[in-house]
Amino acid sequence: MDFDTSEEQQAVLDAVGVLLDRHAGPKRAIQLARELANEDANEDSNEGAHEDTYDHALDRALAEGGFNDIARSMSSLEAALVTEAVAKAGGRCAFATAALVAANLGDDPNDPHDSHGPIEGPIAIALRSEDGPVRFAAHAKHLLVISNAGNANSAGNNGNAHLIALEPGVIEPVSSNFGYPMGLVPNAMRRGGRALTQENARIIDWWRLALAAEATGTMQSALDVTVEYLSRRRQFGRTIGSFQAVQHRLAECFVQIEAARWLTYECAAQGAPREGAATVAAHALAAAARVFTETHQLSGAIGFTHEHDLHVWSMRLHALRTELGGVAGHRRAIAHSRWMGPQR
Amino acid sequence: MQFEWTADDKRFREELARFLDETLPADWDELSKEGPGSDAQAEFSKVFCRRLAERGWLTPHWPSAYGGRDATPWQHAVLSEEMWSRGEPRGPQYMNVNWIGPTIMEFGSDEQKALHLPAISEGRVLWCQGFSEPEAGSDLVALRTAAERDGDDYVINGTKIWTSYANHADYCFLLARTEPESKRHKGISVLLVPMNTPGIELREIPSVVGHRYFHEVFFTDARVPASCRLGPENEGWAVVSHALQYERVGAPRYARAARTLDRLADYARENGTLDDPTIQEKLGHARTMCEAARLLSYKVIDQRAKGLPPSADTNVARVAGTTVDRAVGELALEICGENALADGSFADANFRMSMTAGVAVGATEIQLNLIASRILRLPKE
Repeated sequence: MDFDTSEEQQAVLDAVGVLLDRHAGPKRAIQLARELANEDANEDSNEGAHEDTYDHALDRALAEGGFNDIARSMSSLEAALVTEAVAKAGGRCAFATAALVAANLGDDPNDPHDSHGPIEGPIAIALRSEDGPVRFAAHAKHLLVISNAGNANSAGNNGNAHLIALEPGVIEPVSSNFGYPMGLVPNAMRRGGRALTQENARIIDWWRLALAAEATGTMQSALDVTVEYLSRRRQFGRTIGSFQAVQHRLAECFVQIEAARWLTYECAAQGAPREGAATVAAHALAAAARVFTETHQLSGAIGFTHEHDLHVWSMRLHALRTELGGVAGHRRAIAHSRWMGPQR
Repeated sequence: MQFEWTADDKRFREELARFLDETLPADWDELSKEGPGSDAQAEFSKVFCRRLAERGWLTPHWPSAYGGRDATPWQHAVLSEEMWSRGEPRGPQYMNVNWIGPTIMEFGSDEQKALHLPAISEGRVLWCQGFSEPEAGSDLVALRTAAERDGDDYVINGTKIWTSYANHADYCFLLARTEPESKRHKGISVLLVPMNTPGIELREIPSVVGHRYFHEVFFTDARVPASCRLGPENEGWAVVSHALQYERVGAPRYARAARTLDRLADYARENGTLDDPTIQEKLGHARTMCEAARLLSYKVIDQRAKGLPPSADTNVARVAGTTVDRAVGELALEICGENALADGSFADANFRMSMTAGVAVGATEIQLNLIASRILRLPKE
């Protein structure tokens, strides 16, 4: 056991930190979401009317920096660390899917059935059974479709995932208050595609880990911005953050986030085992609801405005919670995996 | 960063688990229901700890100079997990080996070491902890019990409360004020007091937690030789702070909660309720809490293994550990339904063990205060 980042890991985090300082942060997230980002729109004008809401510059910088492949060049633990950092910086691109899901699709050169090679991103990921907005789908070049056989959380998700190539403009962008660029993917558009070698259930493991890594970074920033605000906001002649009733609630959030972080790292280091992946997703996404509630309650009215940074992270937490069957499903998956028979 | 146990640690856990399977009596579940302070378990601990000592497993984490094996903090953690998850067959003696012995090593005179350390490491002595008082609970430094110097003796007057194991203890690790009129952290000394000293009286405080769980200990002109003092006079706070470092994360409550949870899943399966999605969700939720507390505790053990000073990560781990203990205690009542209600049922026994979590050894609110100030750096008023 060793809970310290290694020198190599720290170098990765430093490198991605430099990149995120340049390409991410709450101001950029707000700009992309709200102001149609003129510069990027001009730069990427050939990529369609809604390019402004997806951070192509960040996406490219991460890809060119080799971060998308870090699960292969280093390990999934480093991929989780970077995913957390991107989420913490409010990055608006589909990094988690690239780094933790697509990178683990199993392109084993010795496996004759495994011939898909690298998948061009951005990649959106969706359940076959659903038919609503999907994060990043309007900007994605590929849609990874997971069949959940009626229940995303049963352990018996046999059958393979499918990959659908998306022509530009085929997925309609949909406006969403939940912090990510989204595209509407009707159920009919989730059919067909090329079967991958990976079983659905295995991809769900990685997806759960990716959600937890994203939630961890997102929760941490929501808490940080709240602590910072409450440390200077004065009412009743004192800073609000000095009230014990307030401090305890923030401290309880911290405990939840810290647990999400270490569960994520352990699960990533172990290669997203079934029970561990369900555990970290269940914990992190339950914590996400609590962090949303507490940070908004304690921030007061300013927390709901576009003039305060909290919403950049807080609203995303609920988007993450809706994916892949939600917290109840993750919890049932733990029970199936740990206590319910041979599927484990 | 890596999260694998070493081959040595794994082997240690396997050997320990096998030993426990072979050594714990068939009626151990029944015997352990009343908790580590019960008559039955205190008696059993003397036999059991002697057997552990014979194998070098009572104090493996002690330095070899004191009969230990210099085992790492990780192996100490394995030992604690395996013991606590099985209802703590060491009874009250877990305190002896975890922090009382190590504190005597650090601060004790040669005579104190010769008297106490072999008795502890051979598993033949029971201790209690004389910290809390009627007017000094969470605010421990408000303590008033006085130990007045009289020639070569101290004369002790005062009251300690909530003292678990006092009815079985041979010695009390006592905090008392040796400087009259001193305030707060100053003027406190540690005394290692034989419980058969004249002037010590006990009263059991009946409780819903269990038989003989809480006691009040009255000291009325109880006279002990000055040689009972551990460490310098009036500087006992430093001694006790050092002692509590050894108890940084406390008992691995998550390990017992995890084992209880597995048994609740068995119960649900046998009673046909495990197919109920609501039950699955509740079990799954509790399992996430066990795992969260486990990793947060491991983070603290990692710091200890690296020789780092205690940090507020300890408080984080404690919050998570006590939360899961209570949550699983309550879940057991829910899953077992009416079968939980009779004294001594599995769920009842578990609930009793869980309900003081977050109150004993530092209230959750104190932990949260420390997280707020030391980690979040929230302002004071």
